[in-house]
Amino acid sequence: MTSTPSLAASVAGLVRSRDLLWTWTLRTLRARYQQSILGWLWAVVQPVAQVLIFALIFTKVVPVDTGGVPYVLFAYVALTPWAFLSTALTDMSTAIVDNMLLVTKIYFPREVLPLAAMLARFMDFVVASALVVLLVIYFRVPVRPSALLLLPVVVAVQAALIVGLGLAAAAANTFLRDVKPLLALVVQLWFYLSPIIYPLDKVPAAWRTLYSLNPAVGVIETYRAIWFGTPLPVASLAIAAVVAAASLVAGYALFKRSELVFSDIA
Amino acid sequence: MSAVSPIVQFHHVSKAYRLGLTRTSLPGLARQFAGRVLRGRATAAPRTLWALEDVSFDLHRGESLALIGPNGAGKSTILKLLSHITWPTRGDIHVDGRLCALLELGAGFHPDLTGRDNIFLNGTILGLSRAHVAQRFDEIVDFSGLEAFIDTPLKRYSSGMQVRLGFAVAACVEPDILLVDEVLAVGDASFRQRCLQRIAALRRQGTSVIFVSHNLYMVQAVCTRGIYLQAGRVRRAGGTAEAIGAYELDLHAERARRFDDGDEPSAAAAEAPPGLEEPAVDITQVTVHGPAGDEVLVSDQPARIRLHYTAYRDLDAINLAVFIRRDDGVACSMIRSKLDNFRVRLPRGQGRITLDLSPLQLVTGSYFAEVEVTDEADTMVIKQDKARSEWFLVRGRTRSYDPAFAAVFEPFARWSGPEPAGLEP
Repeated sequence: MTSTPSLAASVAGLVRSRDLLWTWTLRTLRARYQQSILGWLWAVVQPVAQVLIFALIFTKVVPVDTGGVPYVLFAYVALTPWAFLSTALTDMSTAIVDNMLLVTKIYFPREVLPLAAMLARFMDFVVASALVVLLVIYFRVPVRPSALLLLPVVVAVQAALIVGLGLAAAAANTFLRDVKPLLALVVQLWFYLSPIIYPLDKVPAAWRTLYSLNPAVGVIETYRAIWFGTPLPVASLAIAAVVAAASLVAGYALFKRSELVFSDIA
Repeated sequence: MSAVSPIVQFHHVSKAYRLGLTRTSLPGLARQFAGRVLRGRATAAPRTLWALEDVSFDLHRGESLALIGPNGAGKSTILKLLSHITWPTRGDIHVDGRLCALLELGAGFHPDLTGRDNIFLNGTILGLSRAHVAQRFDEIVDFSGLEAFIDTPLKRYSSGMQVRLGFAVAACVEPDILLVDEVLAVGDASFRQRCLQRIAALRRQGTSVIFVSHNLYMVQAVCTRGIYLQAGRVRRAGGTAEAIGAYELDLHAERARRFDDGDEPSAAAAEAPPGLEEPAVDITQVTVHGPAGDEVLVSDQPARIRLHYTAYRDLDAINLAVFIRRDDGVACSMIRSKLDNFRVRLPRGQGRITLDLSPLQLVTGSYFAEVEVTDEADTMVIKQDKARSEWFLVRGRTRSYDPAFAAVFEPFARWSGPEPAGLEP
């Protein structure tokens, strides 16, 4: 058989390679934090440093009303998932190119490489999120336990979005190295177009609908709703879920189609 | 699939690579455009290279197939196609069973991780489960002989230790079809030996093997069938000996051509000393044949060398020396009329001298015969032009161009024994 394998067959192949996926994730994590004093603490240092500088700007220089939530917590709750998205996308985009020697020497489902890059960043996200819990306790934020049930949902939506975009970027970067710098630029602009360091209600009402087409809006607002008890942004979360599902299917299909020629264009 | 259907079907497979197709950057395009406008220079069109053209074969359970041929023949492309690293441009490939390709030892090894981590990494890349690796972990460590370093980062290992670790992991793969590239055959003799032993053990369990190597000796040891590829096409398919035979003939022709194009050692012949008169004889032709006039000689069969001459007057104060030279110029045999007490007496006119070597006793390889005319005492070459035969191919018991197995002389050998100890010498 020389035709492109079906999506179902691809998923089955990936499931068979789950041990490799896990081992490769461990390899990525161990290699990253080997010979490093802070080790996995770097997963916290990065967002904390960012939060501190933004807190300085938006509480002292240009004060922003965050609806009674301490700015540090307000920003950190959004910055950790954003860090997951941006670092995972960056790592995924180069996962194939960085391992070209392996890709030309041995066969395994190629999506293992970008997916392991994503999973390794997800571990960072889990570590960084532990600080969210500490901050919530410290600031005595009244979190409703039932709201926490939404956490797996929003994480799944976010992960689907990242996987879809990341797989597409990994495939595209194999053909054109412009993708990596382009992606860095897009992620940078996307950051400012998402309600991370400022609240959603600062966006002019006339732009709000257009603005909410950004799937990051639904994801970040849902995280805030979970922790701060604000109303669940049903519409924007639904938009995010649809965009994420579409990107997952399209990104995976695109990746599996182009996978066939990865080793030929090395 | 019935038990008799092939385990690997490779039908009319072709694989094309596009050469010269580089995606130029925008600045590059601008430069190209400027170049075209200013100098009218055309850009090269992309070329298509057919790495494989219409190659077909079947492999049945338990068979072992050798792919041989020069670099660029398409051997590695076939392995990559079978292992799904790359896809065919045309044709059908069907693999019925678990396939493992050992194109490289220690695939995925990370220098910063310990030997332990790398065993799991390499094992799962080869398609093993973590449980399977864990179950055979002690065996792997044992086999590698690296117990003391198993928690040391791989970057502290010597390259030899890394190869040993990679091989120890590869050795616990038990596929239905094993693809082995000759990278496995690097390393010292004992390492090669362990590779061969491991492959032999798998074959006994019914594993089919496809083996790529330049080492015709190893090929013969491992494989029952052979395909000789050249420039992406099958030149000969059949038994291992048949395929190797065809490859050797072509190698021979190629080496002869390369040698003739380059500097010949005989061309740097000693000039006749001044004052010595050139003898009035020309060696017009030198031929080398087997007993039945065959052009391919066999080591344990006789060979006949004929020197055709034209003498311009009666001669009886000369000697002849015949050298058999290998393709690197080394003289493997020297036969001198003076030493053999053969008196060279040539009457005026044309004729021939015959020299019989019985048997030839040379190893497999390409050779030519060279004739020198020397003075009466056989101390000086007195004829500047040395006559040469065409290249000839010798088939010996060895079937290898691999320098590791190279020798010159292939004596008659007869083995006997065992005999009890304490006998007369």
